[in-house]
Amino acid sequence: MNAALRSFETQWRERVPDALQAVREQAMQRFLKLGLPSLRDETWRYTDLRSVAAQSFAAAACADGGATDGGATQSGAGLLLVDPSQAITLKLVNGCPLPDAEIPLINGLEINNIGDILKLDPKSVRRFFEPPSDADQRRWALLNTALFIDGLYLRITQSISTPIVILHVSSGESTQAAHPRLIIDAQPGASAVIIEHHVSQGESALLSNSNTHIALARDAQVEHYRIYSTGSGATHLDSLDIRQAKGSRCRQFTVALGGGLVRSSLEAQLQEPGANLDSYALLVGHQDRHVDCVNIVTHAAPDTSSRQTARAIASDVSRVIFNSKVIVNEGAKNADSKQSCRGLLLSPNAEIDTRPQLEIHADEVKCAHGATTGRLDPDMLFYLLSRGLDRDTAQSLLVYAFLADVLTGMSVTSARGAIENALISQLPDSQTLRKFR
Amino acid sequence: MLEISDLAARVAGKEILNGVNLKVNAGEVHAIMGPNGSGKSTLAQVLAGREDYEVTRGTATFEGRDLLAMPAEERARAGLFLGFQYPVEIPGVNNVYLLKAALNAKRKAAGEPEVDAYEFLALIRQKMKFMQMSEAFLTRGVNEGFSGGEKKRNEVLQMLVLEPKLAILDETDSGLDIDALKVVSTGVNSLRDPKRAVVLVTHYQRLLDYVVPDQVHVLSGGRIVKSGDKSLAHELEQRGYDWVMGTKVA
Repeated sequence: MNAALRSFETQWRERVPDALQAVREQAMQRFLKLGLPSLRDETWRYTDLRSVAAQSFAAAACADGGATDGGATQSGAGLLLVDPSQAITLKLVNGCPLPDAEIPLINGLEINNIGDILKLDPKSVRRFFEPPSDADQRRWALLNTALFIDGLYLRITQSISTPIVILHVSSGESTQAAHPRLIIDAQPGASAVIIEHHVSQGESALLSNSNTHIALARDAQVEHYRIYSTGSGATHLDSLDIRQAKGSRCRQFTVALGGGLVRSSLEAQLQEPGANLDSYALLVGHQDRHVDCVNIVTHAAPDTSSRQTARAIASDVSRVIFNSKVIVNEGAKNADSKQSCRGLLLSPNAEIDTRPQLEIHADEVKCAHGATTGRLDPDMLFYLLSRGLDRDTAQSLLVYAFLADVLTGMSVTSARGAIENALISQLPDSQTLRKFR
Repeated sequence: MLEISDLAARVAGKEILNGVNLKVNAGEVHAIMGPNGSGKSTLAQVLAGREDYEVTRGTATFEGRDLLAMPAEERARAGLFLGFQYPVEIPGVNNVYLLKAALNAKRKAAGEPEVDAYEFLALIRQKMKFMQMSEAFLTRGVNEGFSGGEKKRNEVLQMLVLEPKLAILDETDSGLDIDALKVVSTGVNSLRDPKRAVVLVTHYQRLLDYVVPDQVHVLSGGRIVKSGDKSLAHELEQRGYDWVMGTKVA
């Protein structure tokens, strides 16, 4: 047993049991049995966790005084996604809601701390803690279930027009780990826009193992963003589970703009006819950042549809991985899926790996996939140069164009603008690029 | 305006141009004709500054400046324009953005201020009307989803906005129906001026009925093998390219 595993086991033994004890116990035992993922594991072959495994971790403290003094020292704070007056903002520090936080009163939105629900009505949320079908590949999600302290449970019962921003602040040392947990429960016909924004407090290098579960009931609509803009020393492991009922629609954006090591997974199940998922990933490798994104989408019912659009850019000595898999279960006829991943290398020392996969167990399905990685297209570049544009401008313009498919899909225009700005600052020739917004 | 002497070039290790000599004066329209694979497009691309085309010998000057020493963008700003045979689609880069950036790059090089946004849009609309192009053009990506004919019209539109001193049009006539050919020809003719020159690269004589050249050259095997006035184009149309193949350099 390595140091990390031993330390997580110690944390497990020291914690006070709660209403989820049986589920947590099961998750923890499975996690301990499987151990940390290694390069031998199918979806971990590009991400080496040996330095994490060699480390002992203590539980990160919940909100403390220093962490609640506003955003002045937060890395990524410059990336204010939505004007606070235009959004419902909920702040979590190391996964814990602030004890004295004011809970906004919004029609159709119930905001609860998971800790409170577990005391008052644990049955109502138990279903959100079932292990994911691919738990063996997502052991960090198991660890989150075992060790999370608190989190938020959002129940959406109507259409909410104001975006809900969940500001995840991580605060601590590299010897600490936090396990933030968020549950989004969209009731039949309800709709909302939810933006999860991950930032670091100061130079925080805490290991953050976050987990989000989105349940969309019949005809519910959710537009969900997860934006990673933690500091360059941070390790971030993030799992997202999406469960979709009949006629529900989910638009999901994953944007990697920060962190040292980022592992982002999405596991979606289209469980009833008419469920539709549109997922977008915008993965930016900068300096020595390592971004590993894994999507698994299961079509479990007939007439379900999914689109996955990923754009990866790698500069300097960064590495970006996009692994996506579509599974069509037996009987899920007329499933319609499309995977498109394009990678753009901006440095000879950067690396992009893409792997679209299909696993089809049904007849009469429509599944398309494509992946390309390369440098800027020389024909396009020559065309722009031949019109008199200088080389920097021409290149920046092409990089921007490469990202346009994902950016233009974002309905929250203020968030889109902020994301564009942050993105541009991480690309070569950012001054030039800025002029072409 | 343009003087090419003994120009040789290769593409991917293969010799394509093999000693081209050509002199184009201000106010003139020259047509370069020739069979497929004779090097017409290569000549156009080399003159515009395509980097992966390697010039192995010879010289080319543009208004007395060493053209081959200038990068593509500098040639464009100095007033050279290439109308592409296959204009590339660039989704995500707006047509108007490109035109504006191109015009401003040229103005900046000439020490002129950037174009006023309002005046620019008025200019574009006027030129679009002249080229009979639809409003959809304004919101679309560069050549994105354009038909072959629309792409060629867009090339001529860019030319009209940029008002180059020397326009090299590479098979701008190919793939056009007769109406589009007339529109494109009117566009090219509107640019004819004692201070400008046009080089038309074409496979067929058809375009030359509308844009009448001062001189016609036949390119074959990477050299100009015959030159003459507009009657040469008619003769080629009747007798075919075999007639001039193998002829000594004119």
